[in-house]
Amino acid sequence: MNSAEREAWYRYQHEKYGIPVEHLRREFEEELSGKNPMDAPLEIPDKMEVVFKYSYGGQSRFFRELRENKTLYGAECPECGKVFCPPRSNCHTCYQPTQWKKLAGTGTIEACTVQHYTTSSFIKKVPFVCAYVKLDGTDSLLMTNMEVDDVAGVKVGTKVKAVYRELRLGAITDVYFKPLD
Amino acid sequence: MRDVAIVGIGTTKFKSRWLEKTYYELAFDAAKMAFEDAGIDKDRVDSAVYGIYNDFFQRQYQPDAFVHDYLGLGLKPMVRVNSGGATGGAALRIGYQEVASGLQDVCLVLGVEKCADTYNYELQMATPEVLRAILYTADMTYDNPAGRTAASGFALAVVAHRDKYGNPTEEQMAKVSVKNHFNATKNPVAQSPKVLTVQDVLDSRMIVEPFKFYDNCLYTEGASAVILASKKVAESISDNPVWISGLGASVDYVMPGNRPSIHTFESSRLAAKKAYEMAGITNPVEELDLAELHDAFTGTEIMAYEDCFFCEEGRGGELIDDGTVLPDGRLPVNLSGGLIGCGHAVGATGIMQTYEVCKHLRGEAGERQRQGARKGLVQSIGGTLCTWSICLVLER
Ligand SMILES: [Zn+2]
Repeated sequence: MNSAEREAWYRYQHEKYGIPVEHLRREFEEELSGKNPMDAPLEIPDKMEVVFKYSYGGQSRFFRELRENKTLYGAECPECGKVFCPPRSNCHTCYQPTQWKKLAGTGTIEACTVQHYTTSSFIKKVPFVCAYVKLDGTDSLLMTNMEVDDVAGVKVGTKVKAVYRELRLGAITDVYFKPLD
Repeated sequence: MRDVAIVGIGTTKFKSRWLEKTYYELAFDAAKMAFEDAGIDKDRVDSAVYGIYNDFFQRQYQPDAFVHDYLGLGLKPMVRVNSGGATGGAALRIGYQEVASGLQDVCLVLGVEKCADTYNYELQMATPEVLRAILYTADMTYDNPAGRTAASGFALAVVAHRDKYGNPTEEQMAKVSVKNHFNATKNPVAQSPKVLTVQDVLDSRMIVEPFKFYDNCLYTEGASAVILASKKVAESISDNPVWISGLGASVDYVMPGNRPSIHTFESSRLAAKKAYEMAGITNPVEELDLAELHDAFTGTEIMAYEDCFFCEEGRGGELIDDGTVLPDGRLPVNLSGGLIGCGHAVGATGIMQTYEVCKHLRGEAGERQRQGARKGLVQSIGGTLCTWSICLVLER
């Protein structure tokens, strides 16, 4: 390819996949310069993408309460009394519909680890704490990614409280946890 | 149920990147080796089971259909299995059912995985994007948004085990890493043959506490295949059949909050228990000659010693300290190098482990041969904190 053809290739791939042109140039300059033998393996940019308008179904109230009222709810089974958070519309033991129960938003770390490496989506946040929180008044574990200055300060048994974000989107990330002072 | 034999085996080399092959081309190479090993034409196969884990890795949904086409098995029945890290073991279980039930006489079980076609252009590497693809298997509403990885899930279990029993210690985990990397130096298909010291492992950078770099398996591309046959067919075509004498499976609650505890993998214990009962094994350390366990992480290999009843619950760390699981120990574990040394080509892994045990039972394992091996165990686990578990006992 000549240089104009190469620039057009970079522009097209940038617009299609959102990859910065300088990254594309770094990765593909040799290939596009025609230096590789015809039989050499050829790599190209690609992306798999699907857009949703997702329904939370029976869990809708949980996310609306979180977004509108900065409140966490659990789901209580009327038969065995177990309280789930993450909530579920039906108890898997008794096969009965659950009822909403307002939670205090405090809890205890049941298991935690510090991530020093992670996925593309989160790698700029490391190190961060990944923990299972047992919220007070519930009998299950909620996964959370804790934002704390001192990652070593979070341990099994640490008491935590919910903090609600300013911008709430109706997602579980509208809430995070920090140690109770 | 009918007896089921493994009459052919094949595997590609396990590599970090198979730039020159697509997933269906890798599958072809493994299948061709297995057919040649069994001494049969591909048309002799009645059905196929494909273990393929991640559709993003293949850049293709329903990749099984394209493998089936590429292998020239069109019009024969097939099914694809996807059970996380346990995909290979789960595929073997379905293949076993095909033959044991009497439905088919000859079944191809093939696992294949790419992964490093995913790429993070900014960081100039595949791994963070591989992890991103994997995280789509975490609960999308509550777990995925937290940025948890497969490693952190298993780290949480190892930490919980350590809190309860005081082990595995970092030194014990490092010893497992040294063992498996070293074992890989004797395996020609292994991805990570390395002679390391315990200190090298302890000094490697932290990934997810308590796992350091060398405590983790690496992502791998590769394909492995076995041909299963009924007793009648096996006896007519094979002079070295390996029998599947035990098979157990269990699937735990994927949301760990629904489990009574997370310091042990209950599904793994149940799968091993069922496999031993079927094979008539009462003392695995005495009766087994080798084991291939799912060491995605050093700490989980140590938990697997307990889950497979090589020792009492809480005492797994002792088996690496006292040498039981070393190549010259009473029950060598992961002579292939395991996932840490040989590699973790997810859908292929459980089948690679089976390939390895067959090599020993057939006396073809070369430098790493377990002398006189007659019985071996394969443990294939996967999913959030070990959701899926399959164990197989193989005998010659
Ligand atoms: Zn109930």
